[in-house]
Amino acid sequence: MAKKIPEFSKEDLSKMLKDFWYGKPHGERRLGELYIDKKGLYKHREWRGVKDTMYYFYMIWLYNYIHMVRDVIRFGGVVNFAKGVWRYRWVGQTYLPVLHWFDRGLEGLRGEALKASAWHYRGMVASTIRQFQRMFAADTRLHGGKQNEIYKHNIAHNETVWGGVFYPWSDQYQNVPIEMIPYFVTCHVNCHTVLNYIDAVQSIGLPGDPCPMCQAEAGIFVLDDVPDYAPIVVTCNEACDASVSTSILQDWFWDKPLYALPMPMQFDDPLVKKYCMQEIEGMWKFVEEQTGVPFNWNQLVKKLESQNQLQEFEWEKWEVAAHSNYYPVNGVAQALYRIYQSQYGDWEIWHFCDKKVRKIMEKCVKKKINSFPNTRHRVIAWSCAPLFFSHWCTWAYNCWGLNVIINMDSLMFDMTIRTDSYDHALEDMAQYHMWAPMRRMAVGGMAHMFELWDYMQRFNCDMVAMYDQLQCKGVQGIHGMFEDEFRERNIHAFWIPHALPDSRTVTRAEIRRLINDYMTTVMHEEPLDPSLLDFDDSMGW
Amino acid sequence: MKKCKCKCGCKILKLLAKLFGVLLLANVALFVVFFFDLDGKLLFHVVEPFLKKHYDNMERKDTLKTPYDVAKYVKPDYDK
Repeated sequence: MAKKIPEFSKEDLSKMLKDFWYGKPHGERRLGELYIDKKGLYKHREWRGVKDTMYYFYMIWLYNYIHMVRDVIRFGGVVNFAKGVWRYRWVGQTYLPVLHWFDRGLEGLRGEALKASAWHYRGMVASTIRQFQRMFAADTRLHGGKQNEIYKHNIAHNETVWGGVFYPWSDQYQNVPIEMIPYFVTCHVNCHTVLNYIDAVQSIGLPGDPCPMCQAEAGIFVLDDVPDYAPIVVTCNEACDASVSTSILQDWFWDKPLYALPMPMQFDDPLVKKYCMQEIEGMWKFVEEQTGVPFNWNQLVKKLESQNQLQEFEWEKWEVAAHSNYYPVNGVAQALYRIYQSQYGDWEIWHFCDKKVRKIMEKCVKKKINSFPNTRHRVIAWSCAPLFFSHWCTWAYNCWGLNVIINMDSLMFDMTIRTDSYDHALEDMAQYHMWAPMRRMAVGGMAHMFELWDYMQRFNCDMVAMYDQLQCKGVQGIHGMFEDEFRERNIHAFWIPHALPDSRTVTRAEIRRLINDYMTTVMHEEPLDPSLLDFDDSMGW
Repeated sequence: MKKCKCKCGCKILKLLAKLFGVLLLANVALFVVFFFDLDGKLLFHVVEPFLKKHYDNMERKDTLKTPYDVAKYVKPDYDK
């Protein structure tokens, strides 16, 4: 019997052509059906309409592959890169599939939002390559034990030490955070790599309940997976006492001249600020003595003023995000770029990307382009995010119309730094240093944690995504008070429990289920894309 | 002279056509890789398992045997 051929009406054909040309409208996309079960790979990448698919193909996928190769060549060469990939798990296992990190974060985006968010990712990729290539170019392990000129011109420091404190030497020395690339960024790109390091530190008998970030940062040393790339090191106690333990292990395993730069907990006290200023000056003396190069005030001013430009543009972005629907950056791009840029410090790539984003944002404002037209709720995300699922906000918008406008990590360094005198610069630098990630609004006292209410109003948000880092004693201690405040203020808030980098404690699927439950049982809403409600990506990057 | 010019012109046109063909083919091939996530599939199924096996079997230094020389670099108090 001959098969019945489905009939196509003119309307069907016209709809098909329209979907091909413009891409399917939000409610019809069924993005969850693109995934290969468990692996998180795509059966095929999303068809976003001719214009946006071609933009993604040429200006994101191809552009970034080409520029990654270019960055590898200009920041240390292919040979150093190949040696590094062969020697260090965190680079080989993590950074090769980096374009999938783009895919996850940019899923479902169209038009100006796709362009602006992708520029944020480009900035982070360039900065990541610059750092690990600098490590490999200097690494004594990759160069027969020799300390070359690059090695002698590096300063290593904890990722929680703001890179700006090294500006006075930035014309001759490069500061490279120890853990930012081997640990922090890896969790976002491939969430499995970090598990090796968490398990390693527990395998030597250390307890499993402290912050898994600190565990992982110590674990890369336990597994001897840190390049030997600098003669001196600066550590700090941020975010908590677990970080101090990490520094002790790092000091033991690395055995280098070390300066411990403290970061006060109670930073509102003016006396504590003076103490912090003295500590920064102490660290400067240490660098002068170790390198033999004097403090360069002009270089400090030059870099601080350059960094201030980045902050001023960030304020402009916040204004657009707060007072209009024309902000073209999605939640994950906003969060990651901002914390990366503000913590690492000034560098040319941030200015380059900001220039591109400014052009796009100005176009959106001028032409009144709403890049997130299916927004049902304007969400503020508070506390520390799950690193293995930082792209949850992309999923939440596609599935539920939850648009994360701003997040806590973006808001911490809410200041420029005065450069009119040495005293003013030092005072502001101390303030900036003390407002570090996970310090000001995560463990910096109740008043700062409760800055949420002001920022919620300022950004016109009607819902809170409250992160609940299960192994952070600081945030756990205030959980109940937040619950009380949400009830008293009649604020819609859902909790996202997680163990920062450890994707085994609370999985991505469990986080999605918790949000789904809240949206159906409390908000009584229907999903925009039901195919995204429940899927298995447990093996995915 | 005219004949010669025409030959040269033809050669250039042929070369341009070939170049255009190669670029077009490369574009199509790359688009297929992109659209069907072949880069992701290659990295997931081939490159990552190979590298993981390599890292798992790598000989590593026992860092716990590092001498605990914390006082080796102790210097005067920099705060003073």
